[in-house]
Amino acid sequence: MNPGDRELFIEQVREHHAGLRGFVRSLGVDPLWVDDVAQEAFIVAYNRLGEFDHSRDFGAWLRGIARNLVINERRKDARRKRIISDNLTEVLIASSSATDEEEDEMGDLALVRLNALKECVKGLPEKSLRLLKSRYEDDNSAQDIAEEFSMNPPAVRKALERMRTALRDCMEEKMQMATAV
Amino acid sequence: MAALAAQAAADGDFARVVSDELAFSGLLREAIRAGTGDEGRSFETNLLSAALPMDDLLGRVREGVATTYECDQVVKHLWESPGAVKQLRRDLAMEEFFHEALSGSKSENSFIQSLVTRMWAETRRDHFVDDFTKRLKRELAPVADEAEEGKIVPFTGGWGRTLVQMGAVAAALALGAFFGVQRMVDRISAKPALASVVKSSSGVIWSGETAPGDDGTIRSGLYHLSSGVVSMRMSSGSELTVEGPAIFEVGDDASTFVHEGIALARVASTDLGISLRSKGLSISEPARLIGIDARSEGTTEAIVFNGDGGICLTEGGKCRELSEFEAVKADHVRERLVDVPYNPKAFANAWALLSGVENNLGSVRIEMPGTAISSEQGREGEVQVYVENESFRPEGDLEVDQMVVGEFSVAEANPGQQLQAKGELRSYLLQLWPTEGGEGGEVETSLTFDHPVVGVIYSSDRLVSSDSSVGSLISHEGGAASEDRGMDSGNDEILLSQDRRTLNLRFKGGGAQAEQVRVLVALN
Repeated sequence: MNPGDRELFIEQVREHHAGLRGFVRSLGVDPLWVDDVAQEAFIVAYNRLGEFDHSRDFGAWLRGIARNLVINERRKDARRKRIISDNLTEVLIASSSATDEEEDEMGDLALVRLNALKECVKGLPEKSLRLLKSRYEDDNSAQDIAEEFSMNPPAVRKALERMRTALRDCMEEKMQMATAV
Repeated sequence: MAALAAQAAADGDFARVVSDELAFSGLLREAIRAGTGDEGRSFETNLLSAALPMDDLLGRVREGVATTYECDQVVKHLWESPGAVKQLRRDLAMEEFFHEALSGSKSENSFIQSLVTRMWAETRRDHFVDDFTKRLKRELAPVADEAEEGKIVPFTGGWGRTLVQMGAVAAALALGAFFGVQRMVDRISAKPALASVVKSSSGVIWSGETAPGDDGTIRSGLYHLSSGVVSMRMSSGSELTVEGPAIFEVGDDASTFVHEGIALARVASTDLGISLRSKGLSISEPARLIGIDARSEGTTEAIVFNGDGGICLTEGGKCRELSEFEAVKADHVRERLVDVPYNPKAFANAWALLSGVENNLGSVRIEMPGTAISSEQGREGEVQVYVENESFRPEGDLEVDQMVVGEFSVAEANPGQQLQAKGELRSYLLQLWPTEGGEGGEVETSLTFDHPVVGVIYSSDRLVSSDSSVGSLISHEGGAASEDRGMDSGNDEILLSQDRRTLNLRFKGGGAQAEQVRVLVALN
C-alpha cells in the first residue's frame, strides 16, 4: 500500500467512524461490542484497501464489510457472540443494504449530524444533562437512575424519551439550517 | 424463514396467529425446562416479560439489556409491522449517537486510539501507528489552556529527584492553591502510609481531593491521576503502575481498586499476593505481572504478562485461569468473561516506566512482553530493549564480559569474569541496529537502569552460553538466534558509569545485522 492510500484511509476513519458505529448498532450488535465490531471493519478495510475501487463510496464499502462481520456473528458460539439475539439480528440485517446509501445516523452525513447533536446537548439544562449522562456516560439502567434522582423507573424512561425526542428535533433543525445555508 | 416472514408481512391475521403460537410454544418450552435454579428464574422472567408492553420491550432492546425471549417477542412484532424495522434500526443508531455525544469513552479520540492499539496487535504494522500518532498529535490531542499549562512541570532526569518534585508539584496541581493543599495534606497525613511513589513520567497531574504526600507517600483514599504515569511500591513489596487519566482507590488494608484507566501490577516474589480489583473483576490468583485496562465503561480487560493468574467476576463467581500472554474481558452488563486476543499495546506507556529502563540518548524502543526478536523489526540506529526475564536466581556462577567501570572500552574478545550466583537478577537483552551497511555513522545511546548493573555480556559465545542460564523467555522469529550476534566486532565501545546505573554504547556494527548485548541487574 502506498503512503497516499494510507493517508486516505486515515481521513476516512475520521469521517466514517460515527456513521459506521451507528450502522453496526442498528444491526443488533451488543452496545458493549459496537466499537469492537466497527474497529474490526476498519482493520479488514485497511488490509484490503488495495481492493477498494476509489470511484465508489468508501462509507458503503465499510458498511458492507461490517454487515458481513455481523452476519458471521450468528455462527459463533454463545460465549463469543457480539450480538444480543440471532433472530433480531437476522430481521435487522434483512432490512439493511450495504450497497444502498444509508441515511441519517448511519450514512455518510453521520459525522455532521453527530456534531449537531453535540451542540444541542450543550444547551440542555443541568438536571437534564445529569440524567442523560447517568444513562449514556455511566451506563446506568432506568432503575439505577431512578434511585439516584429519587424518581420512579417509568418516570425516568419517560423523561429520557422526552429528552431524546427534543434532542433529535434540535439536531434535525440544525441540519436543516445547515442545508439552507 | 424468509418465506414465512414474507407471508406474515402480507397477511396480518396470519402473522398474529403465528405470533401467538410461537409465544405460547416458547412459554411451554421454558415451562418444561423449568425444573430448578436458573431455568426456573428464567421462566419467571419470561412470564414477566410477556406482560410488558411492546414499547417497553423495544426500550430494553435499545438499552441492550433485552433477554433472548424479549428479543424474540420484538422479532414477532417486527414481522407484523415491517415498517417498524427501519424505525428500530434508526432508534438503535440514535442510541449509539447519544453515547458518542455524551460519553468520553466513546469519543472520536478514544475510538481512534483504541483502533491504533488493535491495528498494532493484529497487523504488527508499525507504520500505521506512526501515521496515526502524527495525526493524533497534530489534530486530536487536547490542548491545555494557559492556566493548566503553567501547572505542568516536566520531570526529567533521575527518578530519585523526580520523586520529591512529583509529590510537591502533584499536590499543588491537585487543588491549585497552597492552602487547599495544606488542609488536604493535614487531613490525610494522619492515616498510615501504605505505599510510596517510586517513579513518575513527565507531565504528572493529580486532581481530586487526595494526592501523594511531599515524600511520595500514598495513604488510603481515592486518587485521581489526570495525566502521566506513576509507579508505586506497596507496603507488601508489590509494584503498581498507573497511567492517567485514571482513578484508583487504596484501601486501609493496602488493597487497590482501579476504577478507571490503565494499571500494571508487578507482584514481588516474596509477596503473598496483591489485593487488586477493578470494575467487575478481581484478581483471585496474582500472576507475576498483570495488566488491567479499565478505560471502557462497560468492560474491563485483564491481561497476564508473566506467570499464571486467576481472574474472577466480582458478581456471579465466574473465574478464569489465565496463562502468560492471555487476556480476558469482563462484560459487566452480561456478567460474563470473554476471551480476547493478547493486545499489550495499551500498556506501552505504563510498561516503559515499569520496565526499569530510562532512555537518555538515542533512539530506544522498550519492547512489550511477548514480543519476539525478529531480524526485520529494527530501524537504523535504533536500540530495542527486551525484558528477557523479570526475575531469576541463577543456579551457578555466570560468565560475563570484562569491563572497567567508569571508562569507555572497546567491546572485543576478552577473558571474561565470573558473576557469583547470589541474589535475584533481572535480565535485559538489547538489540542494536547499525546504520546502513554497517560502515555508516556511529550511533551513540545511553540507558539508565533502576537497579545496579552487575554484569554485561556482549561477546557472541557468552551470549549463546548464557541464554539458558538467564532463562531467556524471548523467542526468535524465523528460527533460532544467530551464533554471531554479539557486539564484539572491535568497532564498538561500551561504558558503565561509576554508580553502575548507566550504560553508554557507541556502535557502528560489523555489518547489516543487529548486535546484541545482555545486561544483568541486581534486584536485591
